[in-house]
Amino acid sequence: MNKLKVFFIYLILSVAALVSLFPFLWMLISMTNKSVDITQGSLMPGTHIFENLSNLFENYSVGSALFNSFFIAIIATVLCLVISSLAGYGFEVYQSKGKDIVFTILLLSMMIPFAALMVPLFRLFGNISQVFPAIGVDTLYAVILPYVTTAFFVFFFRQNTKMFTKDLIEAGRIDGLSEIGIFFRIYLPSMKNTLAAAGIISFMNNWNNYLWPLVIIQSPENQTIPLLISNLGSGYTPDYGVIYTAIVIGTIPTALVFFLLQRYFVEGMTGSVKG
Amino acid sequence: MKKWMIAITIGLLILFVSACSSGEHTNGEGSSDADVITAWAWDPLFNVAALKLAEEYYTQENEGFQLQIIENGQKDIVQRLNTGLSSGTMNGMPNIVLIEDYRAQSFLQAYPDAFYDLSEYFNIDDFADYKKEPTSFDGGQFGVPFDTGVTGLYLRTDYLEDAGYTPEDLTNITWDEFIEIGKDIKEKSGKYMISVNPNDPDDLRHMIQTAGVWFTEEDGRTADISDNEAVREAVRIYNALQEEGIAHINTDWSSRVAAFNSGSVVSVAVGNWMTPNIKAEESQAGKWTIVPIPRLPVEGAVNASNQGGSSFYVLNIPGKEKAAEFLASTFGSNEDLYQDLVTEIGAIGTYLPALDGEAFQQSDDFFGGQPIIADFITWMEEIPSVNYGMHTYAIMDILIGEIQKYKDGKSLDDALHDAQKQAEGRLIN
Repeated sequence: MNKLKVFFIYLILSVAALVSLFPFLWMLISMTNKSVDITQGSLMPGTHIFENLSNLFENYSVGSALFNSFFIAIIATVLCLVISSLAGYGFEVYQSKGKDIVFTILLLSMMIPFAALMVPLFRLFGNISQVFPAIGVDTLYAVILPYVTTAFFVFFFRQNTKMFTKDLIEAGRIDGLSEIGIFFRIYLPSMKNTLAAAGIISFMNNWNNYLWPLVIIQSPENQTIPLLISNLGSGYTPDYGVIYTAIVIGTIPTALVFFLLQRYFVEGMTGSVKG
Repeated sequence: MKKWMIAITIGLLILFVSACSSGEHTNGEGSSDADVITAWAWDPLFNVAALKLAEEYYTQENEGFQLQIIENGQKDIVQRLNTGLSSGTMNGMPNIVLIEDYRAQSFLQAYPDAFYDLSEYFNIDDFADYKKEPTSFDGGQFGVPFDTGVTGLYLRTDYLEDAGYTPEDLTNITWDEFIEIGKDIKEKSGKYMISVNPNDPDDLRHMIQTAGVWFTEEDGRTADISDNEAVREAVRIYNALQEEGIAHINTDWSSRVAAFNSGSVVSVAVGNWMTPNIKAEESQAGKWTIVPIPRLPVEGAVNASNQGGSSFYVLNIPGKEKAAEFLASTFGSNEDLYQDLVTEIGAIGTYLPALDGEAFQQSDDFFGGQPIIADFITWMEEIPSVNYGMHTYAIMDILIGEIQKYKDGKSLDDALHDAQKQAEGRLIN
C-alpha cells in the first residue's frame, strides 16, 4: 500500500517534471536544427548548431547585447540591494508616527501595472534628456533607474528584518557603533540569505525585462538580449534555429546565477537569518 | 563583515567607472541629430533591405546623406511609437517609420501633429488607388506607399490534377464554390484544402475587402459589423472552412508555413509576401500556380484583395525635410529602384509608372513559368479601395471571441450583434 502511494507520488511528480522540463529540452534540441526542421516539429537533435551559432554571431551584435544586459542587471541589482535593505531596515527598526502610512502607500504602488506607468515615465525621461542627456532616453541608465528599487523589495527586506534579533542593535549601540555602522557591520552580514534571494529575483527581473527597455532604448548598440531575441523573430521568414540559439545564450546567465545562489535563495525565501 | 562592505563598494565603483565610459558612446546619437536620418522598419530581408537599396540609389546623387536603419519587430515599433507619441516629447523618435496600412489611421488621427505632410514632395496619384485612403488624413498626404499586400490563391497543381481539377476551375470563383471543391478534393484525396488559424482570423480582412467594405463605416470610426453583409458572409465562410473539415488547423506562423511546406494543403489564400516561404521548399518547384483570390458571395465583390502592405511616414521633427526628400526621390518616384526591388528582394511596389518595367514581366519557373509579378499587378489594380479606419485590430480581437461562441452554437445574428455592441462600447469615436 505504502509502495503504491510512493509510486503514484513519483508518477505525478515525473509528469510534472516532464511538463516543466520539456520547453527547455525543446529549446536545446531546436538550437541544433535547421529552421525548416523546427517548424515541422523535429524532436531529434540535428547537426546545424554551428551554422546557427555563426549566423547569430555574424549577423547580430550578440556581444554588445550581452554586455548591455549584464551591465543593466548587475548595476540595478546592486543598487536595489543597497537601497531596499536600507529602507527595509529603517522601516522596521526606527519608530516614527507616519511610517505605517508611508509603508501602505508604498505597498499600494505595487498594485499599479507597469503599462500604466510607462507613458508618464517616458515623458519624465524625455524631460531628463533635455537637462542630462547622459541618463535620458536611449541610455542604459534610463533602463536602470526605474528599477533601482521597488516596493516589493522594500517589503521583502522589512519582512525579513522582523526575524533579525533587535538585541544585536542595542549591543552595537552600547559598544559605540554608529547607526550606519550597525547597519553595515551587524545587520547586513546576518542577512546574507535575504540579500541572495533578493539579488536573484532582481537580477532575473532586470535580465528578462522587456517592455521598458523596448520603449526607452532605440539605438541598436544599446539593445539588450530580450530585445535582440524579439528582433530575430520580426521578419516574414524568421530563422527559428538562430532564434533558439539566441534564447539558449540568453538563458545561461540567469540559470547560472540561480544555481550558484540556490542554497541561499531557498533559505532567504523562507526567512531565515544567520545570527 | 568588513569584506561585504568592501566588496559592495568596489563593485559599485567598478561598475560606475565602466558605466561612465560606455555612456560616452551611447550619448549624442539620436534622431535629434539631423545629419543622420533614422528609420524604423521590420524584416531584414524585406523592408530593411528595401530601405538599404533606396539609400544606395539616393547617395549616388546626394553624397554625405546618411541613413541609419533601426530594425525592430512590427509590434515593437507600434509599442514604441505609441509610448513616445503619447508622452508628447518626441524624444528619440525616428525621422522615418514604416507603418502597416491597417494601423496607419490610428496613428495619423490620434497624433495629427506628429507627422509631416508630404503632399508637396510626391504625387500620390502615381500610386495604386487603394493605397490613398490609409496614407492620407484631413487633406494631407502623410505616407509614401511602399509594398502591396495584393492577395492570390496559391494552388498545388499536382493535387488538383489528382482530384480531377484544373487551376481554371478555381479561377474567379466565390468562397462558397471554393468550399464545395474543397470538400470534393478532401473526399477524393484526403488532402486539406486550406490552412486556418482559429485564433487569428486575419483571413477575414482580405475576404471582406473583396466586397469593398471594412469593419467600420466610411468615417473609419463607427463599427459596422452586425448590419454588414460582407462581414456576416466572411464570418460564416471562415467558420464553414473549419466545420466542413477542409481546413488544416494551424496555431502560429511556423505551423502555418509548415502546412504548405510539408505538402499538407492544396491551397494558400494569402498576400504575395508569402511567396518566399512557399518557394523555400525547393522540392515543390513547378507544382504551384497562383490564381485570383476567391470573392465573397455578395453583390459587387471582385476577385482581388489586399492583406497587409505598409507605407513610409515622416515624423514632424528636425530632419523632416531631408527625410521627405529622400523618400520622395526614391520610393516616391524612382522607377529603376522599383525594378531592383522586384528582382533583388521580391517586393512588389505600388508605384504605377514602374509597373511596365521588364522586371515585372519575368516568368517564374517555380510557378511553372507563370509571370506571377505581372499577374499580381493586374489584380492589384482591381483591389477595392477601403478606409481601414482606426480600429482594425481592436475589432479583430472582439470578433475572435464572438466567432468562438458562434462555433459553440450561438447564432450568427447574435454573435455579430454582440460584437457590434462590444465595439460600440469599447472604441473611442
